[in-house]
Parts: sequence; structure tokens; C-alpha cells
Amino acid sequence: MSASIPALTAPRERPGSRISLVPLLIIAGSLVAYAIAALVTGQMAQLSLDGLIGVLQRTVALGIVALGQTLVILVRSIDLSVAPLVSVGAVMASWIMQGDPARMIGACLFVLALSACVGVLNGVIITRLMVNPLIATLGVGLVLQGILSASFANFAGSVPEEFQVFAYGTVGPLTFSIILMFALAVLAWLMLGHTRLGAHIYATGGNQEGARLAGIKTGRVTVIVHVLCSVAAGLTGLYLASRLRAGAPWVGRDGVYDLESIAAVVIGGTVLAGGRGGVWGTIAGVILFGCLDAIFTMSGVNAYIKQVLRGAIVVAAVAAYAYRTKGQVA
Amino acid sequence: MTFPGVVALDDVSFSCEAGEVHALCGENGAGKSTLMKILGGVYQSDAGQILVEGQEVRFTHPLAARQHGISIIHQELSLLPDRSVAENIYLGREIARFGMLDHAAMNAGAERWLQRFGCRFGAGRLAGTLSIAEQQIVEIAKALNFDARILVMDEPTAALDDAEAERLLEFVRQLRAEGVAIVFISHRLRQVFAAADTVTVLKDGKLIATSRKSETTPDEIVRQMVGRELKDYYPAREGNGESAASALSIRDGGNDAIKDINLDLATGEIVAVAGLEGSAKGALARAIFGAQPLTRGTLQIRGTAVSIQTPRDAIRHGIGYVSDDRKGEGLALQQSVLENALLAARGIEPLFASTRSRRIRELRIDGALQNVEVRAASYGQPVGLLSGGNQQKTVLARWLALRPPILVCVEPTRGIDVAAKAAIYHLLRRYADEGRAVLVVTSDLPEAIGIADRLIVMREGRIVGEFPAGAAEEDIAALAAGHAAAPVE
Repeated sequence: MSASIPALTAPRERPGSRISLVPLLIIAGSLVAYAIAALVTGQMAQLSLDGLIGVLQRTVALGIVALGQTLVILVRSIDLSVAPLVSVGAVMASWIMQGDPARMIGACLFVLALSACVGVLNGVIITRLMVNPLIATLGVGLVLQGILSASFANFAGSVPEEFQVFAYGTVGPLTFSIILMFALAVLAWLMLGHTRLGAHIYATGGNQEGARLAGIKTGRVTVIVHVLCSVAAGLTGLYLASRLRAGAPWVGRDGVYDLESIAAVVIGGTVLAGGRGGVWGTIAGVILFGCLDAIFTMSGVNAYIKQVLRGAIVVAAVAAYAYRTKGQVA
Repeated sequence: MTFPGVVALDDVSFSCEAGEVHALCGENGAGKSTLMKILGGVYQSDAGQILVEGQEVRFTHPLAARQHGISIIHQELSLLPDRSVAENIYLGREIARFGMLDHAAMNAGAERWLQRFGCRFGAGRLAGTLSIAEQQIVEIAKALNFDARILVMDEPTAALDDAEAERLLEFVRQLRAEGVAIVFISHRLRQVFAAADTVTVLKDGKLIATSRKSETTPDEIVRQMVGRELKDYYPAREGNGESAASALSIRDGGNDAIKDINLDLATGEIVAVAGLEGSAKGALARAIFGAQPLTRGTLQIRGTAVSIQTPRDAIRHGIGYVSDDRKGEGLALQQSVLENALLAARGIEPLFASTRSRRIRELRIDGALQNVEVRAASYGQPVGLLSGGNQQKTVLARWLALRPPILVCVEPTRGIDVAAKAAIYHLLRRYADEGRAVLVVTSDLPEAIGIADRLIVMREGRIVGEFPAGAAEEDIAALAAGHAAAPVE
């Protein structure tokens, strides 16, 4: 070890632009399984562009929620209040609009502002009152669902024709909502890899005390991330109201957006312990779920079997990541 | 400043001039780290004031301290394992252009720091893949990487070998010339005297003395720290070698990290393993303990060939292991001292052990904790609230109570003060004298020479030589660095 060999032999990688192949592999695998299912069941129409876009369309709601959930999990928090918040967003949107196009913008702004407030509430309960995020967001979610169910029994109000453009409007072959989901994913990716906030999100989740010692206001980062996640859930509520023409207090619960979003995030390789992962994995996880749904619809197999398979995939994915990580360390 | 049950600092006044290196010395729990954490805005003091350049300031968050030009190198590593070296160095002060991070600029900046330290890894490496010594260097670069006017270094050289430490001291002198005020906390008195202008000694949260370096001596400092003359720093060897039997023997052992290992360990002896960063001396310890098992060669314990694939195997064969990473591997910080000390015993206890046998174990652990003199308000206190030295003693007590016939210690005295070091040396010697074998892996050469009956030198995963007790430090260092051939035996 003389002074003459300070050669930098380490592989040169550029931080921030670490792109993992795993999301691509997950998407490719999902599409192959989907294609095989279509061929085997003879439903060639599913292989057309329209068929594929139909699959993507069904991932939009979960996709937007899961993007928010990704950010939250990256700071080592979690958000179980997203499903009730989706319902709140959908119901408030259609209830305020009452079919009147003039109220569209006001209703949307109200829903997003309300969601942001819920995010602040979650964040403050977690960072100031020091309540475990699982419990804090579970509690907030129960409160939201309770108020909503007590106030509305069924579909409340309706959205005007014009608002349905949000879900059904198209640009070329794609719908607005699919474009929105991918646009949000790109924004989140840029934010995580290329802004201070992104770096501070990874730092807060990776080592909270270390981040604090480096002068990062970790509490503020956590609150911001919860606000972003809640706004994503509110946005999903708006989308569902547009798609279903009205909001009902069970839309969020029926979509199981809380647990499914966490599952999608985890399948995508973001670790619950925080500090590692990214949005493309989450998008891949959501597409995997979308393909799985389509495959089961095509084959007509009992839908409960689908749950079994989903559960198995989540566990297998986490086990595979754990194995890989261990391999790197050793 | 008080912790539950303990007053950590009591009426301490301390000042450091621009362009001065002020060393802060004291035993475990003397309050050095607490003082620095108050200065860094990590803790808030209950009384008193902080003046920066004559202005009174109050820090409620580490960020506030930094805005006043105070940078702290914390003793406990605070890196993000899944982020690159560059991202860690620029954490909290990322370079951004138009709101977007400038990764190229940060990488180049980080690369410059690594070159100044002569590091052999790139800025793109994930921090978690670095060794502890390399992480320590990144931690230092992170603290130096902004124009600090006041720099506090809490045991900065604890994980560094002598060459790396010397490079760091060179930096300290350079920064002093630039007018930076430097507070240097270290237990290595040689480095204190190499770097400092002024030395302040704390004891039990109180200020004992502040003196110019020219007006004091290392012996004087030690006396002030301990409050008494420190005799017999290293324990005497009893030399009952004639009845020694083989405790552990490895033939042609190897795995990914180590090669061609032939090692014998006899009862009643302490063998030290020395080597520079990258010598894989830690990997040897991990191999013996089954944490990174041998894939080649044979391993015998008391003359019987055994296979050790997991730490559990090792514990069952009577091997104890004191890790060099107290926080990461050794301790559950939120659990009590007693729980932590019981951990190893719990692991091998039958699931339905009788309450009586558990009670006996607990008593034995209690005895061991008292034996190593862990200073805590009570053994029910969370171990995370104790000072580094007391945490280390807790880890030791865990194993001493189990009395494994073979004890492997990695850097057993890192980051702890002289009195605690001496206590640990005596504990290890007594332990060996009772007919057990001790293997000590250490980067601290004087320590290795002082406590070992035999000293093994490793380089790049191989054992390159062996020295008897009392060998010269220069010879060992030269062999470890690869400048000299192995000694003729």
C-alpha cells in the first residue's frame, strides 16, 4: 500500500441516475404473461392497442395513490388513510358539483386543499405528537371514513358531462388520465433524483438522526411528503368521481387503495425501512397488478384466486429483494 | 444538561480561539460528547450560554449551529448506507442549479476530497459498502466540506490507522493556519499532543483543568482524567504457558475475503491480530464466529474438527464475539443494560428454561456488569443513554458472563477512554489467565503490542507474519504496510 497506487478502481457510477433494470423486468414479465393469457384464451382483441390501453386505464387510480405512497414509504412512514381519503375526494367532488359545470374548478380546488390539510394533519401527528405512522394514519383514516359514512349513504350528487373528460378524454390513443399518471411519475422521479427535497427524502428515510445532524429538518420533510401523498389520494378521488359520474363513500374501500398501494410500492423494490427505492418500481408494481386483473378477467377464474396470487407475489418480491441485498453485502 | 438519573454536565465553561486547536479529554461519561452536542444544537442546555464571536446564540436544531459556522464530526457514524459517497458528503447542502441538483459538480467535489485523503474508492460508491474506517473518512469530508469557522471533531481518528490519522492531523494543522477554531476530542493522547495547542480535561461533568500544551505532559493529563495515578496500564503476563492446550486451530482456511489462513490459539493466551485497512483482519474474526463462514480449509476446536456456518454454531462451540460496531451489530439501544447483557445468554437458553435457571443467569450477568464497572443510573436504563465506553463494557459483560472458552474481540477499546481501556485490558488478561483463549483484532498497534502474548499481522486477506510479545512497533507497522519481509522465527 505505497503512496503510488491511489488508483480509483471502484466502478464509476453516477449518483442520482442509478437506473435499476428491475422495474423493466417486472413490466416485461407482466406483459408476457398477459399476452400468453390472451393467446391461450383466444381473446386476440386484448392484444390490440386498445386492449393494452384498457389495462393501463385500470391502473390509473391505484397508480396515482401508489406514487404518493412511495414518497411516504421512502421517509420510513406509511399512509393507511389514503383509501378513506379517496372516498372523501370522490364524494366531495360530486356533492359540490351537483352536475353544475360552473362549480367544477371550485370543487376540484376544495378537494385538493382538503386533502392537503389531511396530509398536514397526518404529518403533524407523526412528527409532533410522535405517534407511530401506522397508528396515526389508521386513526385519521377511521375518522374520515366515519364522518363520510355518517353523512352520505350512497352516491352523492353527480359530476357534469364536462368533468368526465378528465377520465375519458383522449389525446391520440391515450386518455388524459393515463398521461396524468405518467406525468406525475416523471415529476416524482425528477423530484427524488434531482432536487434537494428528493435528497432529503432519501436521507430522512435512510437515517433520520444522521439527516438531522446534517442540518435537514426531517420533521418538515415528513410533513411535506404526507401532504404530497394525501393530495395524490384526493386527486384519485376526483378521477374516480369523473369515471363513475358520482362519488360514493365506499369507492376507496372497495379499491383497497391503502393496502394495494403499499403492496405495489413494495413489489417495486422500495423498502419499508425507508431510504431506498423509487417511482418506476412502483409503476411496474401497479402494471403488474393491472395485468394480473386482466388475466383473471380473461380466464374467468374465481376472483379470490387472484387474491391468493397477489399475496404470493408480494411475499415473493420482498423475499427476492432481501436475498439480493444480502448477496451484495456479503 | 441532565439525562434521566445522571447529570451529564455541571457548570462547565470552555472557550476556543480562532486558529487554535483545543483538545478535550476525559473519561467515559465525563461529558465531552454532551458538551459538543449542546454546541452543535443536538441537545439544549438547561443553563448557561453559548457565545460565537462574542454574540450570544441559541441553537434549537443542528441547522442553526451550522448557520453560525459550527461543523461537527460526530463520533457515531451517521452516513446513509444506500446513498453514494458524494450524496453523503453533500447531504444537507446539495449543489443545485435552477432547482435541479448538479450531480456532476457534487461528484467532482467529493472526488477531490477523496483524493486529498488518498482514498482508493470513488465518489459513486454506496456508503454502506465501505468499511468503517472508510466511512469515517467520508464523515470527516462531510464535516469539512463547508466553510466551518468552528470545527468540532469527536474521536475523529477512532477508526483510522496511523497513516490515515496522520493525514487527518495534517488537515487539522492546515485548517488551523486558515484561522479555524478546532475542538479535538480524542483518547489517543499521542494525537492530542501532536495536534493541540491547549488541552482541557473534563471529569464527571466538571471542568478539571485547561492548560497550554507546553505547560503539561501526557502523564499529567492522564492523572487529571482519572483522578489518580494510572499504574499498570497493560496487565502483566502470568506466563503459565506449559499447561496450554489447543483451543482453536484453522488449517488452510479461506473464503471470499481471506486466504490461506493457518492460525492456532491456545488456552491461557491472548493473540492480537494487527493489520491496516483492507487487510481483512475483521473478516478473520467474522469467519471464526460464523458471521462470514469459512468456505475452505478445516477448523478445529479443542482438537475436534467442527463446522461453523452461523454465529449460533459458534456460540454453541463456545466462541464469544465482541463486535466493532456497537450500534449496528452489538446493542439494541432502546433496551435496558440488563436486557442487552442477557442477549447472548438468551440466544442459547432453552425456550422453556426454568425461572430458577434464568434467575441464576441474571444474577451472573449482574455480577459481570458490576465486574466490568458499567456506570449507569440502574441496569434497567436504556443502554443508548450510556457513554460509548459504558456501552462497550456492556457488550463485554454479555460475553464474560457466558464464559465462552474462546473470546474474539474486534476493536474492543475503540472510542473509549484510557481508564476504561486499562480496565478492559485487565479483564481480558484475567479471562485468559483462567484458562481461556482470547483473540483481539485491533488497529491500535500499541494496544496490540501491550496486551498480546503473540501478535499476528495480516495484509490483503493473508497472515503475513507473527511476532512474539514485546516486538517493536516499527517492525510490525512495516510488515503490515508491506515494506518488510516477515520476521525469521
